[in-house]
Amino acid sequence: MTLLRPMLALLLAAMLAACSATNMGRMEVDEDGETITKVYSSNSLLSSRISVQDLKQKTVGDLLYIQATLENDWKFELDFQYKFKWFDKDGFEQAPEGQPWRQVVMAGRSQNSVQAVAPNPSAVRFEIWVRE
Amino acid sequence: MLRLLSLLLLGSALALSGCASKVDYGDAQARETVNTDFGSTDLQMIAAKMVDDMMVFPPIVQMTQNRRPVVFVDRIKNKTTEHVDTESITDTIQSKLINSGKFRFVDMSVVDRVRQQLEYQSDSGMVDQSTAAAMGRQIGAELMMYGNFSSIVKRDGSTKDVYYKFTLKLLNIQTGIIEWTNEKEIRKTRSKSLFGL
Repeated sequence: MTLLRPMLALLLAAMLAACSATNMGRMEVDEDGETITKVYSSNSLLSSRISVQDLKQKTVGDLLYIQATLENDWKFELDFQYKFKWFDKDGFEQAPEGQPWRQVVMAGRSQNSVQAVAPNPSAVRFEIWVRE
Repeated sequence: MLRLLSLLLLGSALALSGCASKVDYGDAQARETVNTDFGSTDLQMIAAKMVDDMMVFPPIVQMTQNRRPVVFVDRIKNKTTEHVDTESITDTIQSKLINSGKFRFVDMSVVDRVRQQLEYQSDSGMVDQSTAAAMGRQIGAELMMYGNFSSIVKRDGSTKDVYYKFTLKLLNIQTGIIEWTNEKEIRKTRSKSLFGL
């Protein structure tokens, strides 16, 4: 009898933990002559562990070609997904359903570069979204 | 005794409510890992990589700088042991390429239906000839898109490892030269373990 109550409480906690929604973190890069990296996140754990070390961009033909170097600041392996979102000069998202979430597994304290090409020439700004 | 019973009832009600099956819409771009067969995420990854790579390859960039080359899609040979709709992969690739504004496509699968429509417009006598589409004015394709899709499946006890390789080629039909080619490799593993460790 004395064991039943804490066991039920544990069971309830376990069931409710499975209900937690996947949180998204977002890194935004602004184009105003210089690149600024900001991290927006509702998942503070993920955003505190990932940082953008380096950002390279070039124009190939008339398409924007981005390479971002992500760093895992945590000492353990980090498993997350990322996606590039592209916006034109009026702020409209280009090809909103065009790209899948790409999986990446980063070893502790490692760097990984991710690349993406804009879907069409009118994309001038991009955002990198991450989620668990 | 009554408290215990009510507590048990509450607990079982909570647990059993999870037994009802539920249908809901999911995210079409989310990662799908139902099993190791060819899935939606594989299709999306392949199309994304092929298109991204084609559009930054320097000779293709040069070719598409001032004009939009015309391509026709041949077929992707499915050399895997699964049933894979490879036309669905080329449809996605074609859609992304047309929407990038860099390429134009001709469709070989509707040739007969288009001919029927053209004959109707020119021969049936029912269509105003000043608005009818003229026969013999279609633009010829200059590039052919085709490829292979193969897999290597290995099983050992509780581990199953599937390796997919998708190869896409762009061939200039006049010169016979493959102008661009690239591959996408995907590995999916299924492992069973005790206690989910």
